Amino acid sequence: MKKLRRSMLFIPGSNAAMLSTAFVYRPDSIMFDLEDAVALREKDSARLLVFHTLQLTAYHGIETVVRINPLDTPYGLKDLEAAVRGGVEIVRLPKTDCAEDIHKLEREVDRIERECGREHGSTRLMAAIESASGVVNAVAIATASPRMDSIALAGFDYVVDMQTQRGDGTELFYARCAILHAARAAKIDAFDVVFSDVNDDEGFLKEANFAKRLGFNGKSLINPRQIELLHQAYAPTEQELRKAERIVNAAEEAERQGLGVVSLNGKMVDAPVVLNAQRILALAKPAFVQA
Amino acid sequence: MEIKKEAICGTLESNDLLVKVAPRNGLEVTISSEVMRQFGARIREVVEETLKQMGVSQGQFVIEDKGALDCAIRARVQAAVLRGCDSEELNWRGL
Amino acid sequence: MDEELDIETLDPRKDVRGAAEVKELLRASGLDAEADIQVFVVARNRRGIVACAGLAEDVVKCVTIAAEYRGSSLALRLMNEIHYLAMMRGQSHLFLYTKPGNATLFEGCGFHKLVEVLGHACLMENTPVGIRDYCDSLNAFRQPGQRIGCVVLNANPFTLGHLYLVRQALRQCDWLHVFVVSEDASAISYADRLDLVRAGLAGTERVTVHGGSRYLISKATFPSYFIKDACVVEACSTAIDLLIFRRYIAPALGITHRFIGSEPFCRLTRKYNEDMFEWLENASEEGQPVHVVEIPRFEVAGCPVSASEVRRLLARGDFVTMASLVPPTTLACLRAKYAFRTQPQADYCATEIIEVK
Repeated sequence: MKKLRRSMLFIPGSNAAMLSTAFVYRPDSIMFDLEDAVALREKDSARLLVFHTLQLTAYHGIETVVRINPLDTPYGLKDLEAAVRGGVEIVRLPKTDCAEDIHKLEREVDRIERECGREHGSTRLMAAIESASGVVNAVAIATASPRMDSIALAGFDYVVDMQTQRGDGTELFYARCAILHAARAAKIDAFDVVFSDVNDDEGFLKEANFAKRLGFNGKSLINPRQIELLHQAYAPTEQELRKAERIVNAAEEAERQGLGVVSLNGKMVDAPVVLNAQRILALAKPAFVQA
Repeated sequence: MEIKKEAICGTLESNDLLVKVAPRNGLEVTISSEVMRQFGARIREVVEETLKQMGVSQGQFVIEDKGALDCAIRARVQAAVLRGCDSEELNWRGL
Repeated sequence: MDEELDIETLDPRKDVRGAAEVKELLRASGLDAEADIQVFVVARNRRGIVACAGLAEDVVKCVTIAAEYRGSSLALRLMNEIHYLAMMRGQSHLFLYTKPGNATLFEGCGFHKLVEVLGHACLMENTPVGIRDYCDSLNAFRQPGQRIGCVVLNANPFTLGHLYLVRQALRQCDWLHVFVVSEDASAISYADRLDLVRAGLAGTERVTVHGGSRYLISKATFPSYFIKDACVVEACSTAIDLLIFRRYIAPALGITHRFIGSEPFCRLTRKYNEDMFEWLENASEEGQPVHVVEIPRFEVAGCPVSASEVRRLLARGDFVTMASLVPPTTLACLRAKYAFRTQPQADYCATEIIEVK
């Protein structure tokens, strides 16, 4: 059963208080940010904070992500060393424009895993797409490496590149679709943009629901308050739940009887439908899914 | 590692610490904390352990603790040492 | 609430509008924007500046936070920025004046109390071991004896009057510690003043000449001293300096007596001398009392010798008259290095404070 990844909480890597306590909010994953949230003069210190925080037992039960600085900055490679050696699960590469960006990253990750004795392949990669090039190259990026875990759309920089502004979502439509398709074709996950107005619950829910309907696995969050809202948005309705239970029960029954085909109400139920029902049940019971 | 210049690292905010380092003969660590009684000894332990791991045997360290966890103490002290040594070369094994 | 705030630095000399905003914010808290502040750290929200802290070299002053942000962590963020800014400017050792009621707030911001004048003012520094390290360094110069004296000179420049004061003091003590004010705010540079004191006292036994420090008559401990034409002298402007002397410096060297030259001219100097009796001799203050001994000024041709007179002679290039007022070493230095000054750069009335005029 796949892990739930509805909520990815952004934590500034320079904020010791938040690093110490973010796990209490129980998001599905936590992203320690060494890039935009960290001032230049703090980059060195934040890197070390994140390195040590990653090793806290409190974070061993939550999926961890580190957003490093781009590799062509003086910080990127050092951030990567800290992240991989610190035991992060996923490295998020900002401003991923093409497959070669992933290849470069992968080469360094290979080397660092070797040097520090970490299991080869254990560090996965998330590409953040923030430009028109990135969107256009989404498929190549999504399939650039066996380490690819997911793609995320980063709204702010993307709309600047597109010479427009954040609005009702029209400006993101193509990008969202392109990224989703690339992710699904490559059998990896896709994450939607940050909603930056922390006081606008209604606007947030609207966007979250839209992302869910499109098929995004989850969304990036900058405020812990948004976690609960998001989990609610992703929660199945009673009706959906009942139906899913029936399907899963039917599948289990068929397996018990050694039947090759699952049927419900006289109709055949395909494997993807069963999988989907299982996913819906999981969304309703996150407690059992978290490792 | 040798402390060559004065440096500062960290913040005064909750769960953090401010570390100031300066060159000095011999090693001196001075700690102020709102929870000195309960955690003063532990803070000192973590600081001294971190300095030892980095091979720092000289320098004046003044620490204003605001309730930081061990991991924050380690990180801020390490970063302060690197800033004071004017070095960005991290010996990852030493951490 | 903190989310909306930006912390920035502001140069009041370049950013006229920002300076005006800061002035208004300070005024609302009953504070004046002091002219010597070189940079402010300010917190801004969408509407404007809501908090500020000023830096004048190594002294933090004019700190205020708008009422709606008090009690939040804004003070911490503001003062944090002050620590970093100061470090970047090469001023890692900071002092801060505040009302005693605010001392606790600043203690949470990495400042530590040096002295407090009850009910009036409190001087703090940004390290728990500043004064301690200074006293440790002074300890090395302790001398045995029952009566250990101290004289603090600005020596702008060192005159026969200063020499007389030192010699008179030596007659009344076993050892004399001479400190030279290190604030570089006088016509003659600190380096030269110190050299001239050493040269003038060369060969004099039972004397140790010390360079000054931030803890003794500096812009940190005694800012009024350096304000030109300081006519209004606040109740505690001298107290902080004297209390530091009594509680820390005197014990470090075992000083039992402080010698001063009588002051016929300057009001501020006279007040400082009077205050010395109150703060150093008073038994009810914390710390061993230090006896204060006033010595009448040295006279040449019926006139008290005065460093300001020497500077006036310097301005006129009259080295002939000057020769009767200063030792040869001073004369030689002034001739060599200061002869072309038609006007002394800074001629504070207050710098005569402890000199024999």
